[in-house]
Amino acid sequence: MADLQSMSLHVPLAARIHAYAGAIAMVAVSTLIGLWIAPRWGTAPVDMIYLPAVLAAAALWGLGPAVIGGIASAAAYNFFFAEPIHTLQMYHVTDVVTVVVLLIVALVTSRLAAGIRTQARLAAAHAARNATIAGFAGRLLSCSTEEEMAQTACKELSGLFDCNAVLVSGLPEPHIEAAVPEGNRLTPSDIAAAALTLESGTPAGRATSQIQPAEWQFHAIRSPGAVIAAAGLARDDGVPPINEDQVPLLSNLLDQLALALERARADADRREVTSLRERDRLRGALLSSVGHDLRTPLTAIIAAAAELRCSKPEDPALVATIESEAGKLERYISNLLDMARIETGAVKLKTEPVDLVDAVAAALRDLRSRLSASEVSVDLPQSLPLVEADPQLLHHCLINLVDNAARYAGDGVIRISGTFSRGGVRLSVEDDGPGLPQDGERALDLFMRIEGSDRKGGTGLGLAIVKAFAEAMGASVTASNRVAGRGASFTLRFPSSLVIKSPEPVDAG
Amino acid sequence: MPARPPKVLVVDDELQIRTLLKATLARAGYSIVEASNAREALASKSIDKPDLVLLDLGLPDRDGLELVGALSAEPRAAVLVISARDQTEQKVAALDLGADDYVTKPFDTEELLARVRASLRQRLVSETERQVVDSGEVSIDLLQRVVRRGGDDVHVTPKEWDLLAQLAKHPGRVLTHQMLLRSVWGAAHVGQTEYLRVAIRSLRQKLEAEPSRPKLIVNEPGIGYRLVSTP
Repeated sequence: MADLQSMSLHVPLAARIHAYAGAIAMVAVSTLIGLWIAPRWGTAPVDMIYLPAVLAAAALWGLGPAVIGGIASAAAYNFFFAEPIHTLQMYHVTDVVTVVVLLIVALVTSRLAAGIRTQARLAAAHAARNATIAGFAGRLLSCSTEEEMAQTACKELSGLFDCNAVLVSGLPEPHIEAAVPEGNRLTPSDIAAAALTLESGTPAGRATSQIQPAEWQFHAIRSPGAVIAAAGLARDDGVPPINEDQVPLLSNLLDQLALALERARADADRREVTSLRERDRLRGALLSSVGHDLRTPLTAIIAAAAELRCSKPEDPALVATIESEAGKLERYISNLLDMARIETGAVKLKTEPVDLVDAVAAALRDLRSRLSASEVSVDLPQSLPLVEADPQLLHHCLINLVDNAARYAGDGVIRISGTFSRGGVRLSVEDDGPGLPQDGERALDLFMRIEGSDRKGGTGLGLAIVKAFAEAMGASVTASNRVAGRGASFTLRFPSSLVIKSPEPVDAG
Repeated sequence: MPARPPKVLVVDDELQIRTLLKATLARAGYSIVEASNAREALASKSIDKPDLVLLDLGLPDRDGLELVGALSAEPRAAVLVISARDQTEQKVAALDLGADDYVTKPFDTEELLARVRASLRQRLVSETERQVVDSGEVSIDLLQRVVRRGGDDVHVTPKEWDLLAQLAKHPGRVLTHQMLLRSVWGAAHVGQTEYLRVAIRSLRQKLEAEPSRPKLIVNEPGIGYRLVSTP
């Protein structure tokens, strides 16, 4: 508060009286010196005695005291030293000149001194304002959260401008973020004024040009390009909370607040991103450790069952069940881990030219025990070009598509075929099963969530993984019912951009 | 089988897996030593001098990949790496570091035994240079540089022959794309997987009964090729 008052250019009454009295006193002292000098060296040097008094009064106290000092000097000189002595009459022109000169000196010097003093006072006021802003910014800097920052800002504004302060944000219904004193309420017209400020960025409310019935006066707190909040000020006595002079200071303070809020927001965002990343990492780590923990006993079960099979068991069918069920479990775990990789964005593409003959053969080899009861036909023409794909992702896609077909095909045929046209390369996996519940677009939903997928077992993840992996590679997958005959058809499509055209001759290089 | 049964060192930190591997290998007539961590594995390497090491890459004290070099060093032992299915890069790294082959967890025991046999055979005959490799009705004569199918000579281009010979020199073993490209086309072409794909396709066309369902030259996705031979 003291800072702001010192900025005012008015001088208190007591100080003014003191200044005039000082000026008169200096003239009196000069007169005494003159009275001591005159009998010894004559009156000629005496007029000079008054000059320092007038200069000093002008320099110390400004125009008024200097002029009074000048007039008093002239009068005293006239009275005590100019002929006729002890009267205010003047006989000599030189005396008139002396009096006039004294007055001119008083005027000019006091003007100069007053200018310098005003500048000094302005500089002091400026420094005080900077100190106020710096202190405000410093106190905001020590806050760690936005809430704390809003509360601190209100407290500071309230103290600096000697009024109540609130911070509001949110559109279309602004709400109070912080208030000093606490429990301040806003009337509907205050809320309207706040909303206007938040929307337009211009001041609104009491003593502004907009929504004057409001009790509060709102000012925007803006970051580059957006109004992030509004500060409201009001006095209990209804007097406008700030005057014209204080507007630049307020706007500086609100700029500081905006910067601090922006920083707090960026910090919070960064913390959130870090914690999300950490959570993803933990989830990935957890899943892969669960995957490892499940796989180790599963490996033991599968190997044990194989040993059992070799030892000519009494009931080979039981051993076969253990083996096939363990195989299923292994595929579920694989799918679970794949899904986790997809969800955490951990799928890394490593593409290379792939021969679909290789891809299909590898999938059939991995599923050979699963397919022991099924007939599989493969039709991949020699002219089928290579495609740019990630061999592992493609392998997982094919395993899931063939496994899915085997699930529904029963003892029917699974047909795998490849075709090449201008649109790209297509690889289809078809089965003889009951087909998809409904054709067309509905069938595509299958990839997301297979309702009633438990009709034949399976976690429903397989096809979702096919879709995600295919898309990761730049390919796509579609589902439909076969045109001729029963059963479903799933097609992987590699667009022409992924097709490798007429590779170099084999003997090149 | 030689007079002395080949000695296999099983390195795995899981007791159950070691127990089962022991049972499987014993059934096939191998003598077995075991280690549960890297330290024990290196000790066993120098004391027991195994002919083949089955190495799980996930060991508690050290990364299994760091052991591949030491375990395969003199006295020569074949190293078969055990790795999870989706760790393609790890498998390729192990092969590049000198591992003979890999098996994927959970493994098929018959496949495991086939890999063990292939790796040991490779090791036994490597000194006396393999001459003829048979696979079904295909016969590859490395000495005379001839490939026959059902008794008839098959014409292959020089590059195709180089590729086939490279695979036939290591029957049953996986050779990475990089290894094949480097030895057949040269170091400047290790990135040109498409050369390899096209040459393999052409060989299959000439040698396989059903080229779209290959049985002779099989692919390991993202890793390489192996020639399936008749023992």
